[in-house]
Amino acid sequence: MIPLVGLLAGIVLGIFVEPSIPQVLQPYLPIAIVAAMDALFGAFRAYLEGTFTDRVFVVSFISNVLIAAAIVYVGDQIGVGSQLATAVVVVLGIRIFTNAAAIRRALFHA
Amino acid sequence: MTVTYVRRRAHRSQATTSTTSPPMRSRNRAPDASMDLLNQIIRQPLDPDYALAAARGTDPARGRWTLAVLAMIIGALFSVAALQTTREAPALQSERTELISRVQAAEKEQDQLRGRVNLLTQEIATLRAAALGGDEAARTMEAQIDTLDPVVGYVAVTGPGVLIVVDDSPSAAADARDRVLDIDLQVLANGLWEAGAEAISINGHRLSSLTAIRSAGDAITVDYRSLTRPYRVEAIGDPLTLQARFVESSAGAWWNDLAQNRRMRYEISDVKQLDLAADPGIVLRHAGRAAS
Repeated sequence: MIPLVGLLAGIVLGIFVEPSIPQVLQPYLPIAIVAAMDALFGAFRAYLEGTFTDRVFVVSFISNVLIAAAIVYVGDQIGVGSQLATAVVVVLGIRIFTNAAAIRRALFHA
Repeated sequence: MTVTYVRRRAHRSQATTSTTSPPMRSRNRAPDASMDLLNQIIRQPLDPDYALAAARGTDPARGRWTLAVLAMIIGALFSVAALQTTREAPALQSERTELISRVQAAEKEQDQLRGRVNLLTQEIATLRAAALGGDEAARTMEAQIDTLDPVVGYVAVTGPGVLIVVDDSPSAAADARDRVLDIDLQVLANGLWEAGAEAISINGHRLSSLTAIRSAGDAITVDYRSLTRPYRVEAIGDPLTLQARFVESSAGAWWNDLAQNRRMRYEISDVKQLDLAADPGIVLRHAGRAAS
């Protein structure tokens, strides 16, 4: 319950406060969000399987976001930024789909 | 080399001896286990530490607030990114429209400058006539100028001729070979010169010996100005022979082939009167006092 409330509060906060992201970090925001979605789906699946732990979630979320952004940053420096961004999205996308399918099975048994 | 070998062996022995780790790790490792990326992504989508931590049994109430803060951060990330994307869209659009208007302004300025060139050309002609005076040598020179002016495209000309309209075939979107290329227009223009045309213009751009017909990007340019389809090629020449001689030339054969095999539009017709503007690219480059 608390995470859900926090999520909603965050969305509302983001809409009304409109914090401005520094120009340097802007290209990495979408990738960070994909990584965050991956961590979220993983956490929800773990929650349904009864193995959810806050600490693992926090650590996996932060490291996922940072690593995804760092990969794209390094890619930008060596000129393959958009390709590496695609790679990150593909890999995390596969994981998101797999976890979403597991969540669907756990929720609906279908 | 030896270092990595030792390390790998140590790692392997560690992996085989550890029996307390979850089943994933104690499974017999394939030789390419560390590079088995896609398999690993699909088989192990969940952070394995969730299982580890659950097996250890931690207090679920601990760290609730970090979770809430993290959830807030995630929510803010989502909304900020969405807001930014929607806010940037009109900015990109306005940038594009500004670029388009700048191109249009530059084209308008170019038109004005061309008009000025035409005015100045007329002025040069008047001044030249005044400077030459009225004696015999001046009259031969005037006659020479009058013959050469239309040929080089220095003055606007009027007369009978042919109009050739060509265009991409209807299937051009599917097959790039069905499009009219710069070389097709070059062949067409050269064929018309060969057939005795005295003046040619393509979509209103008069050809001279200095005119380039080439493609830039998706468009064909004449005198570095892009053409829009269809291409209207007007040529002034002997109305009795021009069309027949063109059709018989190699350019005529080239275009017959394009029309029949590539289904390009290729219409040729006689016209009683054509008005071709002067080529603004032709300017006076060299002037000297006539030998007296």
